[in-house]
Amino acid sequence: MSRGTPWALLMVLVLALVGAGCGTAADDDDGGNGGAQQQNADGDDVDLTQGGDLTIAVVTHGDGGSFWSVAKKGAEDAGKDLGVRVRYSESNNDAQQQAQLIEAAVTEQVDGLAVSAPDPDAISSAVRRAVDAGIPVITLNSGLDAYQDLGAMTHVGQTEGLAGEAAGQRLADQGARKLLCVIHEQGNVGLEERCDGARKGFGGDVENMQVKGTADISTSLTEIQSKLQSDDSFDAVLALNPDIAMAARDAVQGANSEAALATFDLSGDVIQAINDGDIAFAVDQQQYLQGYLPVQMLMLYKRNLSTVGGGQPVLTGPGFVTRENAGQIQQLAEEGLR
Amino acid sequence: MSARPGAVPASGTATNGAPPLLEVRHISKYFGNVIALKDVSCLVGAGQVTCVLGDNGAGKSTFIKILSGVHQHSEGEFLVEGEPVRFNSPRDARGRGIATVFQDLATVPLMSLWRNFFLGSEPTVGKGPLRRIDVKAARRIMHDEMAKMGIDVRDPDQPVGTLSGGERQAVSIARAVYFGAKVLILDEPTSALGVKQSGVVLKYIVQARERGLGVIFITHNPHHAYPVGDRFVVLNRGRLMGNWARNEISRDELVQTMAGGAELDQLTHELERQLGRDHVAS
Amino acid sequence: MAQPAVTSPSGATPDTVSVVDDRLAQVSLVTKLLRRPELGALIGALAVGLFFAVTADSFRTLAGVANWTDVASTLGIMAVVVALLMIGGEFDLSAGAMTGTSGLLLGLLSTEWGFSMWPAILVTFAFAVCIGLFNGFMVMKTRLPSFIVTLATFFILQGVNLGFTKAITDTVRVAGLTDVTGFESAATIFASTFWEPYNFRISVIWWIGITIVATWVLSRSRFGNWIFAVGGDANAARNVGVPVQKVKITLFVITSTSAALVGTMIALRLGSIQAGQGIGEEFTYIIAAVVGGCLLTGGYGSAIGAALGALIVGMAFIGIQFSGWNTDWRFLFLGVILLMAVLVNNLVRKSAEGARR
Repeated sequence: MSRGTPWALLMVLVLALVGAGCGTAADDDDGGNGGAQQQNADGDDVDLTQGGDLTIAVVTHGDGGSFWSVAKKGAEDAGKDLGVRVRYSESNNDAQQQAQLIEAAVTEQVDGLAVSAPDPDAISSAVRRAVDAGIPVITLNSGLDAYQDLGAMTHVGQTEGLAGEAAGQRLADQGARKLLCVIHEQGNVGLEERCDGARKGFGGDVENMQVKGTADISTSLTEIQSKLQSDDSFDAVLALNPDIAMAARDAVQGANSEAALATFDLSGDVIQAINDGDIAFAVDQQQYLQGYLPVQMLMLYKRNLSTVGGGQPVLTGPGFVTRENAGQIQQLAEEGLR
Repeated sequence: MSARPGAVPASGTATNGAPPLLEVRHISKYFGNVIALKDVSCLVGAGQVTCVLGDNGAGKSTFIKILSGVHQHSEGEFLVEGEPVRFNSPRDARGRGIATVFQDLATVPLMSLWRNFFLGSEPTVGKGPLRRIDVKAARRIMHDEMAKMGIDVRDPDQPVGTLSGGERQAVSIARAVYFGAKVLILDEPTSALGVKQSGVVLKYIVQARERGLGVIFITHNPHHAYPVGDRFVVLNRGRLMGNWARNEISRDELVQTMAGGAELDQLTHELERQLGRDHVAS
Repeated sequence: MAQPAVTSPSGATPDTVSVVDDRLAQVSLVTKLLRRPELGALIGALAVGLFFAVTADSFRTLAGVANWTDVASTLGIMAVVVALLMIGGEFDLSAGAMTGTSGLLLGLLSTEWGFSMWPAILVTFAFAVCIGLFNGFMVMKTRLPSFIVTLATFFILQGVNLGFTKAITDTVRVAGLTDVTGFESAATIFASTFWEPYNFRISVIWWIGITIVATWVLSRSRFGNWIFAVGGDANAARNVGVPVQKVKITLFVITSTSAALVGTMIALRLGSIQAGQGIGEEFTYIIAAVVGGCLLTGGYGSAIGAALGALIVGMAFIGIQFSGWNTDWRFLFLGVILLMAVLVNNLVRKSAEGARR
């Protein structure tokens, strides 16, 4: 490297960083202010958001994958539709990080806070701080049993346990006797709860298995296939992630198994597979709503102190995607809306 | 450096009649059935330089390892100040005042001069958990000791790696001298240096000698050895080819012995015949 | 420009003579400052801090400072001790997972096996010392690169973290620490906040304290001198009598014990701990240390620098939050900021040292 090159590289990086930062910040601002104007009788512009310069923070434990991007889109679309600035951030399953992000939101004195609570104890003191600071809180996606203790107004989501039960029930209704529940993520409480629920609803023999995960689909596929080959009494397989579901589909075929396959959560491929008959159904918790509704509810609360849910949680699922409705859902999934 | 009359001892005794600081008599070293050294004798007295010469493979490195305590001799006697010794480790040798400066110099290039100087023996002040290095004293002592070698240290914090090869040698030598070495063994100190730097190192060797140490100077270069040596020992394939006091051998003779002497004559003769006289300088 | 600190000697008598060398120059105070390994990290921290202070209002508020020092503190404790280890010439890739193992052990001892909090903490620390000894002895005896040996430890701990947790609690986390006897007092020491309403975390005090101690050790203690030596040239150190193995093993023990401290802090703050805690953090510690001036090859570095490196990460993390940038790009920003910090560090050091011979 010549003497000047490192400095030049540094300058390029600085400019790129500033440019990108300004760009995305500008996007957020536009999202916040657009589309909320209407003309009243005198022909003057009226700002529907009524002194709306609201900022809602959405802090989830998400990982940026296909599931959470839909939830994020829901939150951001709500911001655009309602003229509200939405700050979405995720902690990638790290409870300490999530607590820190929540506290950052409190520092920013946001107008509303929506959090997912896979580990309610971990974030309770941070959420408590938000509540004490007068920030209304709604929980989403996980934390159904704890939202009241946390001080949240309501909870928007689907209970993993109930959804698992419903899925297990459905598979049992189809005549299955032995279920393989495929867990793809180490350290994810929600996935454990799904399988536990499925066990309850299925009634028959249920076995959990851990696979490598979404980072290594081919290994996961091999693991599932080996399992099915070594024990051909499995007649149902439940995947908990759309990518894993596709691997399971190939595994089932590869093992020449007759097992029925169902999954949690959607993707374009999954919907196609449902259309093709390879997957019996998908449990859809409609995470778009989990991102959208809290933003709307918090905004309304700021407007006129109204609360939604009557002290009860607001359920977004389980919805089931079967062959009947797969076609329409497919279109929407491709747009990132389902 | 010309021979100093009266300053050169006869073999076996030191200048003032005291036993030599270090002496080996008829030592041999075997590794399994490999004869690394056979019947080698050598001594050094206070204020003297003994040069140990030999080409690669002559057994110099085995010799130096025995002297510095890394190996033990298989046969013969090893005497320090007249007393027989047997070292179990380099630490023992150091404890008896034998300091060895290896080719890799035992300095850490990234660390500063004063840190290197006192590495392993840092002066401390304070007690218990508050025991800390006396940095002021360390800097001052290092500066003074280097000054005794003739070097004015401007910046004690400069990393040793930025010094020239000769200067690094000076640090190692000054360190050894300061920590009470009586015998300084230098392993090929000039081999990796240029001409000017080599000259500088030879001056340091002389400084050490002037301060009363015995110096064993190991090298394969007779041109470096001759100016500073009081005694010359030549090894060849583990055996002693000769052991001369300064007044017993001239520089050219030393070079000849080193280069193989009779064998080189013969080779020159053959080459002359083959290539023609005008191609070979005699 | 290299400045030879030593000048050629004169003739036979050892009079000191300053012979003028054509490259000679007096070592100025400025050069001395520029040579310090922390300088790059300091500039980086000031730059990042200034940037976010200007672009995001909340960043400047005391509550904001509490936020980014919070993030920096647990990272910083580990970055500083990992820096010590790296200066000593070794790596510990199991450090991140170890924070999880410690927290989980603490949780299991106190919620499943009836220990009250303080004895559980003691046992956890004792266990950490054992892991550190294990790492140290394995590296010394096998003579394999510590990168490899501690990578193996990392996998072992990762598996143990999940397997034990699941086997014992049937879930992937250990919770319920708040109900344990002694929780209150322990939480006060390790996980409380101070200075209402800004809520600075006590881990920041720990972090600053550990940085001060580490800096003192490096610059003023014998052991610190030995750390630089064994990292710079272990053979040379051994030749002059430095106990190389003891020093390195001690450094491994310090690292794993600090991981136990951080694991305890997190567990007591959250009242629970996930099986996946800490996985992936080991590289952040190393990056912070490198930003702070540590060479990957060992023998050079700074504890303050590593602390500043961790500060940069903390400021960037929260600053990106406050600036409202799209979090999809968060890791990109973080990576670029760190890359810039390392570059600045490198450039500053090069211009301070000039050409080497």
